[in-house]
Amino acid sequence: MSVGAPIPTAWTTGTTEVLKTGTWRAALPRYVSAPSPCHLACPVAGESAEWIGRVRERDFRGAWEILVRNNPFPATAGRICHRPCEGACNRSGFDSSLAIRALERHVGDRAIAEGWRFPPPPSERAEPVAVVGGGPSGLSAAYHMRRRGYRVALFERERELGGLMRYGIPAYRLPRAVLDAEIDRILALGIDLRLGAAIDRPEDLARLRAEFGAVYLAVGAGRQKRLQTLDYEKPWAIDGAAWLRRANAGRPPALGPRLAVVGGGSAAIDVARGARRFGHEVTLIALEREGEMLAQRSEIEEAIEEGVRLQDGAMIERVTERGAKSLALECVRVDFIAGAERGSFRVERIAGSEFRIAADAVVSAIGQDPDLGAIEGALSTRRALIETGEAQTTSAPDLYAGGDAASMERFVTAAIGMGRRAALAIDASFAAARRERGAASERPVPLAAIATFYYPKGERPCERRLGVEERLRGEAEVEFGILPEEAPREAERCFSCGTCIFCDNCFLYCPDLAVRRIPSGYEVLGDYCKGCGICVKECPTGSMEMAEELR
Amino acid sequence: MRNAPPDRMLLTGNHAVAWAARLARPKVLPVYPITPQTPILEKLSEFEAKGELDAEVITPESEHSVMAASIAASLAGARVFTATASQGLLLMHELLHYASGARAPIVVANVNRTVASPWGFWPDETDSLAQRDAGWIQFYCESAQDCLDTVIAAFRIAESVLVPAMVNLDAFYVSHALEPVSVPGQELVDAFLPPYSPPHRIDPQNPESWGNVVSQEMYCRHRRDLGEAMARVFEVALETEREWSRLTGRSSPIIERYRCEGARTVIVAMGSLCGTARDAVDALREGAEAVGLLKVRLFRPLPVEALRAALAGVAEILVLDRNYSPGYGGVLHQELRGALYGIADPPKIHGRLAGVGGVNVSAERIAELVREAAAGEARRESVWVEG
Amino acid sequence: MRALAVGYEPILSSGHAACPGCIEALTVRHVAAALGTNTVAVVPPSCMAIIAGPQPFSSFKIPVYQPSLEASAAAATGLRRALDAQEKRDTLVAVFAGDGGTYDIGFQCLSSAAERNEDFIYFCFDNEGYMNTGAQKSSATPHFAKTGSTPAGKASKKKNLTEIMAAHGVPYVATACAGYLADLIRKGEKATRIRGTRIITLLVPCLDGWGLADDCGLEAARFAVESGVFPLYEVEEGCRYTLNEAGKTRPVRDYLSLQRRYRHATPEEIDALQAEVDAGWARLLERVAASRESGLTPSAK
Ligand SMILES: Cc1cc2nc3c(=O)[nH]c(=O)nc-3n(C[C@H](O)[C@H](O)[C@H](O)COP(=O)(O)OP(=O)(O)OC[C@H]3O[C@@H](n4cnc5c(N)ncnc54)[C@H](O)[C@@H]3O)c2cc1C
Ligand SMILES: Cc1ncc(C[n+]2csc(CCOP(=O)(O)OP(=O)(O)O)c2C)c(N)n1
Ligand code: SF4
Ligand code: SF4
Ligand code: SF4
Ligand SMILES: [Mg+2]
Repeated sequence: MSVGAPIPTAWTTGTTEVLKTGTWRAALPRYVSAPSPCHLACPVAGESAEWIGRVRERDFRGAWEILVRNNPFPATAGRICHRPCEGACNRSGFDSSLAIRALERHVGDRAIAEGWRFPPPPSERAEPVAVVGGGPSGLSAAYHMRRRGYRVALFERERELGGLMRYGIPAYRLPRAVLDAEIDRILALGIDLRLGAAIDRPEDLARLRAEFGAVYLAVGAGRQKRLQTLDYEKPWAIDGAAWLRRANAGRPPALGPRLAVVGGGSAAIDVARGARRFGHEVTLIALEREGEMLAQRSEIEEAIEEGVRLQDGAMIERVTERGAKSLALECVRVDFIAGAERGSFRVERIAGSEFRIAADAVVSAIGQDPDLGAIEGALSTRRALIETGEAQTTSAPDLYAGGDAASMERFVTAAIGMGRRAALAIDASFAAARRERGAASERPVPLAAIATFYYPKGERPCERRLGVEERLRGEAEVEFGILPEEAPREAERCFSCGTCIFCDNCFLYCPDLAVRRIPSGYEVLGDYCKGCGICVKECPTGSMEMAEELR
Repeated sequence: MRNAPPDRMLLTGNHAVAWAARLARPKVLPVYPITPQTPILEKLSEFEAKGELDAEVITPESEHSVMAASIAASLAGARVFTATASQGLLLMHELLHYASGARAPIVVANVNRTVASPWGFWPDETDSLAQRDAGWIQFYCESAQDCLDTVIAAFRIAESVLVPAMVNLDAFYVSHALEPVSVPGQELVDAFLPPYSPPHRIDPQNPESWGNVVSQEMYCRHRRDLGEAMARVFEVALETEREWSRLTGRSSPIIERYRCEGARTVIVAMGSLCGTARDAVDALREGAEAVGLLKVRLFRPLPVEALRAALAGVAEILVLDRNYSPGYGGVLHQELRGALYGIADPPKIHGRLAGVGGVNVSAERIAELVREAAAGEARRESVWVEG
Repeated sequence: MRALAVGYEPILSSGHAACPGCIEALTVRHVAAALGTNTVAVVPPSCMAIIAGPQPFSSFKIPVYQPSLEASAAAATGLRRALDAQEKRDTLVAVFAGDGGTYDIGFQCLSSAAERNEDFIYFCFDNEGYMNTGAQKSSATPHFAKTGSTPAGKASKKKNLTEIMAAHGVPYVATACAGYLADLIRKGEKATRIRGTRIITLLVPCLDGWGLADDCGLEAARFAVESGVFPLYEVEEGCRYTLNEAGKTRPVRDYLSLQRRYRHATPEEIDALQAEVDAGWARLLERVAASRESGLTPSAK
């Protein structure tokens, strides 16, 4: 009997959506794209979180395409990069840093194996540009400018490209097939290659400046520093660069069986290890203590494994010839005190710690300075380097410089990064300014911003190396890549710091349904957000941050 | 429905209630046993088990849950019936308010029984009269036939105004007394009582919610609405009575005047006492004493206007209360004093606590009470009557 | 990263009055969504009733019936049977009740409904106290926790509702919490595919009542699971036990240290609590093992 029944008044038919609870809050979360620490640490602007994300999805091609947006040498860098990214990796505060370099090598090797190529430039540009020096920095600059459509001429003194990647770094660390493949892939973009063309004198440079709208100088640091205690006129004293250049070509200088190598960087280690491969007994004498040496940790370990005797924290004070061939190296222990700037230091000898080493020859690899003959008068210099600004600019508006010629960093990827920056600066100087993603000034995502609950703990894959005996037999590559099935698994460990992975956590964990999915990601609804911070706390990538609101 | 009922049956009050409930076709039947209500429960369960009644029988752990389930079922759109007594009704107390607040037209048969402690099983209406402020319609029945007719009518009235209804019958005197009862056919009842279809209900097809916190204003308005619905009961009951008497020839008004013509004294009573009072009136009338009976069948809402009209010009009123509100007296007595307040030529109102705890009050005793009352002054308080 | 795949129609709406960061609101958001729109909910007095909204505004897109505090399971029974009588057997009836309304005042009718195996899903939002009335103890309040009515810390242990309900032999009893959202949603969905009385106890850290920061509710829930204080498990037909999060990897101390209500706890009390948790955990493992040995493997998920 409902006909004519009075309608009860207190039924609830509306929705609380009319109640704007957003007025309660004091802070509002923001959906951000923030740089990861690995990205900021990467000299080539790694976008690591993004490409590792692709590896996780087994989209290796996609990963490679992101990698080569910045670095045309992933297979090379994946072997010899000093991996500052791994040192910065947030994961190291959780279990162990991600094996980023191994992943990069994996992607780079796949690209070579699959023959992946760069797409032709989307459009051609009229402005001609020149690069001097075909090492990693010059090749990187050429690559980036070419992909942006510029006509690039590359001037290289030698008959082959690669700079120290070819003449310095030995094949057992960087197989030549890998290097060649990555260089050839750049050249296939269409570079006007001028091999055997040295730009040595000021007039050479002036000619280039007249012909080209911009010039990038990446001539490396070819002038060897020398030990005052050695007489390089003697047949038993030789520069490391010279030794390596010949050893890398398979014809090392004929020296006696006992070699003393002086230096604490990669070059000295490479000489020492190379000499072991040619049968020498090798003693490595470095000013620094083992833990302070500039060479990478793994290189030192491998050298010791291979039988290099290390005399760290020591220097040669005097060399005495004993008979026709034999030398007596008078040495002393020292305290090594690093200076504020990279490459600067001072030593204090420790009295009473003198000792003596018997050797047949001494190879010194203690650093290089650039040869700046060509720029005499044209550019300002600083501490034997071409002085450059942030974007590799120099004191002349059309000249840019980078790599070992302009920096004491002395790393391949640093050189590549400088080449890239120069290319972007040149591009920007021609075209309207273009923005670079993830400016280095942004705050990196700290570990505390990662909701680590979502990540099970796991260790990085162990690094596998060739057995020592096989190593000493020749040029075989020492370090193995990670296994194909290991790559996506390792990529799973990546926190994707600062890069939203569209996991929906922010959306799902909001008690107020105040996070909405939108095509470009996520949006916080100010009408309803109460500012609890759960979305920020539950974000596994640090892509949500809280911003105070003043009302 | 199989087994159409024979027209006339020998039934107890309890079974008359069960038959009425069966004919009303409730959809949900939560039940919990208590003496002397148990035969209602068992009869209905039997109907259901035999397939004569198509209802969801629920057997919860307490009357409290019986009422909780009843309210929810009613709000979900089902016709709900249940029965209880004494402690059971008291246990439901909180939810009786809940039900009327929810405007759930549940019908409950309550067998009036003494409330503990101490324990007793005797007829006494204190249990239901203690619920008079709970917002329920209350009927009091005199006989098995009265029970049957009232339960069916209660559904129609309750569902018309969306207020729950309680049909009360005295323990044993009504609940267990056998008498011939005229049981209507299902078709007749179906015509009288169409299926329940409330304007609002708990239904995912049309999501509306019941029970959310309200503001002071809304609460106040909601209470006022409940009062207005109660006020409509008189008119609806009248219309219901007319329809029922058209269909069955029986009439049961909200208040019944028995031989009140020219009465100097009118006995006012509810429930089983009315039967005895009728005999007393007949006896007194035989002795040419002008005495009548006013049976109050509807106690909530209290039919104040009808009472004032029915009692206008009467000299003496004798109220018989089979209940007791300690500290105030007989509930009907005190309510009637309020109802008649300000009436022209006010009658003297004598209140007697007669039959509290099931004490037997005979027709002769009632006749004596009539005479004593006429002889004495009316006292404000209710006066105990010895058994 | 442990990712979730959830795609369903939201049933809880914005604009509700839960505290910022309320885990009860978050939990019911997902529970309700897992049930779907063909559901009616029963919400007794509790924080949930506040979340449900002031008349005439509801935060639920499904109908909600608010019964009295002690009567949820009976009210759910009434709804169920009324729906059945109207041939709406596919409509789910779900209770969203607090621990006070479940372990305490509403326990009698819940036990009865479970005995009758009434066809509804009962979610107990266990915030371990009468929070809506300002944080007093309930029988779900754990040992030593401070509440408004146990200012010196509760002297007795928490009642084990899950085991009690399992002992009723109902088809499905489980524990869950929003800290393990995928597990919670899975259990909610699983429950919808079962008939009869299903009871899921949801641990709901109460920010105010437990003394937690606004964004710490999920962490507290996870610590409760990781420490074994609140094991995630299921019991089917009263005998088939499945443990969902296997490891007890964290000391109880870690969990307690997040919460203000334990700040006064002495080292002895903490040790005692650890021992209770260890014992409870061992008992649970025994039951899991026993049901495995007797071939009572859990039904397919
Ligand atoms: C033995 C050794 C091992 C090393 N190992 C590592 C390592 O493991 N990881 C790492 O990160 N770094 C390593 N380095 C350092 C790294 O190789 C250099 O920092 C990097 O190659 C610098 O790149 P670049 O392009 O600036 O210069 P270079 O590589 O020196 O290239 C300069 C190029 O310019 C050409 N050129 C020079 N002058 C002229 C001119 N006037 N006209 C035309 N062309 C000219 C040169 O022929 C050369 O090809 C190592 C260095 C050495 C020596
Ligand atoms: C019969 C009755 N007694 C007391 C109350 C007061 N009351 C309302 S909510 C509540 C606490 C309920 O606690 P719980 O079920 O745990 O829910 P919470 O508030 O913690 O969400 C109480 C005691 C009531 N509504 N009804
Ligand atoms: S976790 Fe991933 S994104 Fe973060 S620093 Fe490490 S590699 Fe980079
Ligand atoms: S979880 Fe929701 S309410 Fe809390 S801060 Fe984020 S958007 Fe706001
Ligand atoms: S929680 Fe997930 S979806 Fe949301 S911003 Fe972070 S990564 Fe992106
Ligand atoms: Mg609670």
